[in-house]
Amino acid sequence: MIRPEEIKMSAEHVGKWGMVIDQDICTGCQACVAACAMENNISFVGEKDSGYGRSMHWIRIERFWEGEYPEVKMTPNQPMLCQQCNSATCEPVCPAFATVHSQAEQLNLQIYNRCVGTRYCGNNCPYQVRSFNWRDYERPEPLSNQLNPDVTVRRMGVMEKCTFCIQRIHKAQDKAKAEGREVVDGEFTTACAQACPASAITFGRVDDPESLVSQLAQRGHGLKHLEELGTLPNVTYFKGG
Amino acid sequence: MIKRFFDWLKQPLGLIAVGIAVLTLFSIAAYGLYTTQQPPEQPIQFPHKTHVAFGIQCLYCHPGAARGPAAGIPTQAKCWGCHNQIVKTQTSLLLAPLKEAVESGTPIEWVPVAQVPDFVQFNHRAHIAAGQNCENCHGDMTKVNIAENPQVFNMGWCLDCHVKNAGEDHVKLVKLTDCGTCHY
Repeated sequence: MIRPEEIKMSAEHVGKWGMVIDQDICTGCQACVAACAMENNISFVGEKDSGYGRSMHWIRIERFWEGEYPEVKMTPNQPMLCQQCNSATCEPVCPAFATVHSQAEQLNLQIYNRCVGTRYCGNNCPYQVRSFNWRDYERPEPLSNQLNPDVTVRRMGVMEKCTFCIQRIHKAQDKAKAEGREVVDGEFTTACAQACPASAITFGRVDDPESLVSQLAQRGHGLKHLEELGTLPNVTYFKGG
Repeated sequence: MIKRFFDWLKQPLGLIAVGIAVLTLFSIAAYGLYTTQQPPEQPIQFPHKTHVAFGIQCLYCHPGAARGPAAGIPTQAKCWGCHNQIVKTQTSLLLAPLKEAVESGTPIEWVPVAQVPDFVQFNHRAHIAAGQNCENCHGDMTKVNIAENPQVFNMGWCLDCHVKNAGEDHVKLVKLTDCGTCHY
């Protein structure tokens, strides 16, 4: 059991990359879900396996309702993705060390070639954002041509999850290094943030106080989901602001 | 039944049979290993050593290595830039596929030799920028015709070099040994 004072102490430890999601301007259009699937070569699970709860999305729009029938009120749409916790519950349980914490980028990694498919990490994740490849799902002819070469195509039997588009992070860092400079805030963003028509998602460096994402995160009424578990998530939500 | 079989094996003839079986299995395994170590069949028997001997830099034909992840394999247009000025190209049998590719406009389907698995994200640019030369990984091209892999690209080999080059620099060591640097 983690005592509250310990959480406060360790909360001073900030990650590197972070996200701010404004639920008030999210329309729930699912553009982020589609963009994420395209960017990260996510399989199309199909109706049957989705019915078994085997759907694979690295980001999903959660909807909740308040009140009893006829006065039902919908709460704001809640995009849920891997929170890239600084103290992640998925990491210590992996018997194969396939889900490890990146010291360089401060992200939770999923190393596909090391994963043996115990699904322990997915069961231990309080946000339920990890998805398991139950099959090698087919990609019908035109769709097989849109695979992103920068991302591994996962096979049956491995766990996968949001990577904060680490391929884009590496690409931006590589470009900046080739030009002999640092990565500029807003130079690149994740696929979900790029696709969001309402600009509800902002991505950037949370350890840089000048970046847009840390200035948004410091507006005051931000919420981190399940913070009481001591996971130290890197995604901040705004609701009812 | 089984006892009789083992008794027969202990006879001189049986021992010879065992010997032949073991030798056969060993030869099949050795041949299997040998085939994996051969450079693949290419559409043109491209002589790297001849081109290097003329003083052509690696980056002239594989310019992607200095710019991004893939070094790239040249199209016939680049070959033709030099070869259309060489009289021998018109008559040489070995160069007939090149001439045909240029005339018909169909690309030459080179077979990549140096490959890493799909779950490894390799970037040439970072390695060239760090001062590595092509021959450190791809071997001495002045000695081979068709490119060969002098060593197996495995993770231990990658990490050995990464750790050695990071030296005392802790930040660099963390970056170069981070799983997320190559696997995502």
